[in-house]
Formats: sequence, structure tokens, C-alpha cells
Amino acid sequence: MNNLTRSHTLAIGIALIALTNAVALGGVWWNRSATPESALTLSERELGLPWRSLRFAEESGLSLNLNWRVGDREAGEFVSGYTFSGGTPEWLDAAHMVALGFAPGDLDSDRGRRSYTRQLPREAILVIELGGPTWQRALARARENAGRHAAAAAANAGSKQFADRARQARDELAREEGSNSRLFVIDAGLDARQLREKYPDRHRFLLLRGTVRPAVRDRGGTAPQATGYVSRIGSGRIHVPYAQRGLLESARGVGEPGGRDRFTVELLVGQRLEPWIADARPGSGAADAPPANHSGEFR
Amino acid sequence: MTEPTLPSRPEAQQRVDDIHTFRNELARLADEGVLRLDATQQAAVGKHHERLLAEFAALFDVDRDSRAKQLSLGMRVASFLGALALAASVFFLFYQFWGHFGETAQVAILIASPLAAFALTMFIQGRDATGYFTKLAALVAFACFVLNIAMLGQIFNITPSDRALLPWAAMAFLLAYTCDLRLLLAAGICCVIAWVQARVGTWNGIYWLHAGERPENFFPVAALLFVFPLLVGHRRFPGFAPLYRIFGLLCLFIPMLILSHWGRASHLDLDADQVEGGYQVAGFVAAALAIWLGARRGWPETVNIGIVFFVIFLYTKFYQWWWEIMPKYLFFLVVGLTAVLILLILRRLRRTFRPPTGEGAP
Repeated sequence: MNNLTRSHTLAIGIALIALTNAVALGGVWWNRSATPESALTLSERELGLPWRSLRFAEESGLSLNLNWRVGDREAGEFVSGYTFSGGTPEWLDAAHMVALGFAPGDLDSDRGRRSYTRQLPREAILVIELGGPTWQRALARARENAGRHAAAAAANAGSKQFADRARQARDELAREEGSNSRLFVIDAGLDARQLREKYPDRHRFLLLRGTVRPAVRDRGGTAPQATGYVSRIGSGRIHVPYAQRGLLESARGVGEPGGRDRFTVELLVGQRLEPWIADARPGSGAADAPPANHSGEFR
Repeated sequence: MTEPTLPSRPEAQQRVDDIHTFRNELARLADEGVLRLDATQQAAVGKHHERLLAEFAALFDVDRDSRAKQLSLGMRVASFLGALALAASVFFLFYQFWGHFGETAQVAILIASPLAAFALTMFIQGRDATGYFTKLAALVAFACFVLNIAMLGQIFNITPSDRALLPWAAMAFLLAYTCDLRLLLAAGICCVIAWVQARVGTWNGIYWLHAGERPENFFPVAALLFVFPLLVGHRRFPGFAPLYRIFGLLCLFIPMLILSHWGRASHLDLDADQVEGGYQVAGFVAAALAIWLGARRGWPETVNIGIVFFVIFLYTKFYQWWWEIMPKYLFFLVVGLTAVLILLILRRLRRTFRPPTGEGAP
């Protein structure tokens, strides 16, 4: 290959690298350029630090896990979850699934049920609510469970089985009140604008991309119902910018598994529904944590 | 008369090998009294060959004898392993330290590293007659570019997209064709495979990361890869056309093999047994066609892959049919006899496609 050709190759390679980076960074700029699509203030309950033992030891970066849940009656009374990354929400019915692009199936026949469930996941826009009625219901349910099991334990004094259940329900209530995420997926659609018109509060409803896979809800005694399994696109992890690292880095590994209110994070979502962390501050639960230094870092 | 173009390195190596073969055969013919060149002819041929060997050695550092060829193989292995290790080193180096920099510095490092590695590759390529060091640098440049885009996605929480596969493929092809590197060509082909099957999946509404769950999504890219070297000549890149065909056939046979055992993964909304039966038949037919076409066109890799998958399809069927019901000695006897039968068929096929006497092998 002569020098001219090598020069051309060099120019093409440099242009390819430059153009690719320009497209990627241009997308980032466009995402963040207008008024944020959503702007929520979240605590450690919703944006959890990675467990020290689960981190890649040589990675020096830091990302937070976005913890969200779905309201699912079938989850069981003791399974409201600390961090969830998917589930079959109660509101996701056959009509919703058709609206998301899935072909309806005749669930009464084996063939129809198979045809329905074998459809592969589709992309959807998820509406995630912070501390709304769905969370209030989960909280009320945990309180009701705790009360019921406490009463049963009192009525069966001396029974280890009842005492264990009561303790389990009490722990579950404590988690629901103090550490479980208050973010719940409450709706899904294909048009972000329509969803935003339906849920106009940008500080309470977060729109993010996710995937939905067909599932069948089969409760004994009733006809099977079409539903879907919701999961987030990507890893669900949000990168922490260098400027916010200090506070969060010092909290990492202290009192795992975390899930308290040691810090609050302002999470913004842009036009492309891509999130970023705009700010991080010590939270109301920071007092429970080891003392923080002048820059807000836990020592 | 046009000036002969400078050969590529593989073409030069092929010519050197041909010269050695010619010399050996000429010596045998002389010993057997069939042909003996006179002194003038011998001197002319010898001088011409020596000039060619010296020229190729200077230009491409070709292997001038069998010992050099053996050492070259070792160097190729070392170069391949070194290239992988250096690419991994770049990846871990960035992971180890990137958290200590602000976003601007991170982005600057991420953009600068593939630019520098690519420029270094071009620089080395102009001075490295062997191509081994060029391969090292090229793979590092590719790894830097992959890291560049992947890390930008992580830093700015960009939604994962199959579109990232396109510039990666473009970079891999650029390096492969510039530096004559099959390793980078394989990387580029893998990116193209992933992108095309993802696109085919998204046309059906499937989220791109799940497109691979329908193995039929690989069939269009299989056809594309198999046909590509027929449409675009690769005379100057001798190993490239077989690599396209190998990947094309793998994209055909592996999905077929999966579907012949797991019919529920098919796009076809039929009974799983019907789908599996259909793909078993299709697998046999496609493998037989590959063997026939490969033998007819002189594509050894096509023949070999056809044979391998024909045998896999056959033996998996044997296993399904007879493993439980046959005594093991009888099962393996049937397998062995089948192998003999395949050998006989292939021998017959070889005779069928043998060139007429006097035409010579290509």
C-alpha cells in the first residue's frame, strides 16, 4: 500500500472515530438541552449503592441501581421486595398488551396460550410513580399483615411458628416504611407525549424505557388473563458524575445493604428518556450514618 | 503490456511456496529422466526465482523455507494472543482509573485513545513487513474504539442500541482490509451478524437485544455473508472470501441445529414437532448442498462445514432414535458404519469433481 492510500485510510479512520463520537455526544447534548422530561428527588431507597461484594473490584467508577417495583397481588405478603427489577403489574391487562403491540391470544386453548406467551419482548415507555397510591397500598398491606400476625401470635402465645410469622411481618413493615423503594411502575405505553399528558406531574412521574414480555395470570378458579412481565432496558444502573462521587463513595460499604435516606439525589430525565444525576446531597437519614466531614462525606 | 501490480503478502507467500514446489518437482523429473533443463534455462529460472524471493523477503518478510514457515506459525499464535492480551489490558487500564477523572477528561481520553491507536497502527503498518506487530496494534485500536463508544454509553446513561455495532464493524473492516488481518475481519463480520439479526428482529417489533431468541433472524445475514465474496472480488485478500463463507454457513447451520431441537423458538407458529422435523430435513438438505457446492466450486471450507453439520445432524438423529433402545455396541456399530458410508460417498464425489487429465489442479 503506498503512502497516499495509507494517508487516505488514516483520514477515513479518524473521520469514522470523530463522526461516531460526534453522533453519540450530540445525542447526549440533545437529551439534556431542553427542560428535563422528568425531575425527581430520590433517596437511597430508590437509588441504591452497589453492594461492595458485587462490584467489579478493579472498576473505579460508580453507578447507582435504580430500584423500582410493581404492584402485584400475587407477590405474596412477605415478598414486597427491597430491590426489584421486574414483575407482572396488576394493571397490565389484555387491552394494555394489545396497545403495546402484542397480538391477543385465545388463552382458553393451549395453542392460543402458547401463541400468546411465545411472543418476544417489545420496547415500551414505563411510567414510574414516586410515593403514590400504589406505594401507599403496599404500605397499608404491610401494616395490615403486621397487625394480623401480631394478633395471631398473641392469641397463640408460646407458638414458635406464629411468633416467627409475626416477626417476619414486623420486619417486612419496617422495610416498607424505611428502606423499600417507593417507585412503582403504574402504566406503560408507546407514546411519551400521551403518557406525559396523562401524568403531567414531572416531579412525581418518571418516564423511562423498558421492555414488556407477554405472561399469563392464572389464578385458580378464574379464567386465565393476559398480562405482561415488565423489565427495565439496560442494566438499570445510573452513572454517578465525578462531582457527586465524594458523598456517595463514602457511603458505599457502610451499613450495607443500605436502602435508607443517607443521601438524596436529583435525577433528571431528558428528551431521549435518558437519565442523569444532577445533584446529590446528604439525606435525612445521614444522621444515622457515621459522621460526615465538611464536604458531606461519611467518614 | 501493463505493469504487473505489486502482490499482497499472502499472494507473495503463495508464489514463494509455488517456487519451492516447482523446484522439488523439477528435481524429481530430472532424477526420473523425464525433463532436464539445460544450463542456460536452469540459470535463467534460478536467477528469476532468486530475484523474486529476495524481493518478496524484502517487501513482506515471507517464509523462504519450511523452517521459517514453522516459526511463522508460532509468531502468528504469539501475535494473536498478544493482541488479545493487549486489548484486555487497555480495557482494564481504563476501568481501573477512569473513576478518578472528571467527565471532560474521561471523554477526551476515550476519544484520544482510538485516534492514537489507529494512527499508531498506520505508522507500524508502513514499517512492519511481517504484519505481526500491525495485528497487535490494529486489535488494540479496535478495542479502544469499542471501549470508547461503550464507555460513553455508560458515562452518559445512553440507551443501549444496536446502531453502535455499525461503526464498530466499519472500523474492523477498515483495519482488516488495510492491514490484511483476518482477525479483524472476523470481528467486523460478527458485528454485522449481530446488527443484521437485530434489525430483522426489530422489523417484527422485537426489542433488539431479544432478536437472537428467534434463530431464523440469522438467515438473512447468512445469505448476505455467503453471497458477498461472489459479488465483491477478494483476489488480493486470499483468506477473506473463505471467512465470509464460514460465517455465512455458521449463521445458517447453527440456527437450523437449534431449531431442529427446539421448535418453539421458531417464527413459525406451528406445532414444535413439525418445526423440528422440518428443520432436521432442511439441515440435511442444506448440508448436502454445501458439500456439493463446495466440491464443485473448490471451496474446501464449505465442504468441511457441510460435512461437519451433516454428521452432527445425522448423529443427533441417531441418538434420538436409537440410544435408548439399542445395545450400545450396536449403536456405535451403526455410527461407525455410517462414517464408512459417508467416506464412500465423499470419495465418489471427489472422483466426480476431479479435473480431466491434463487440466491440472487450480
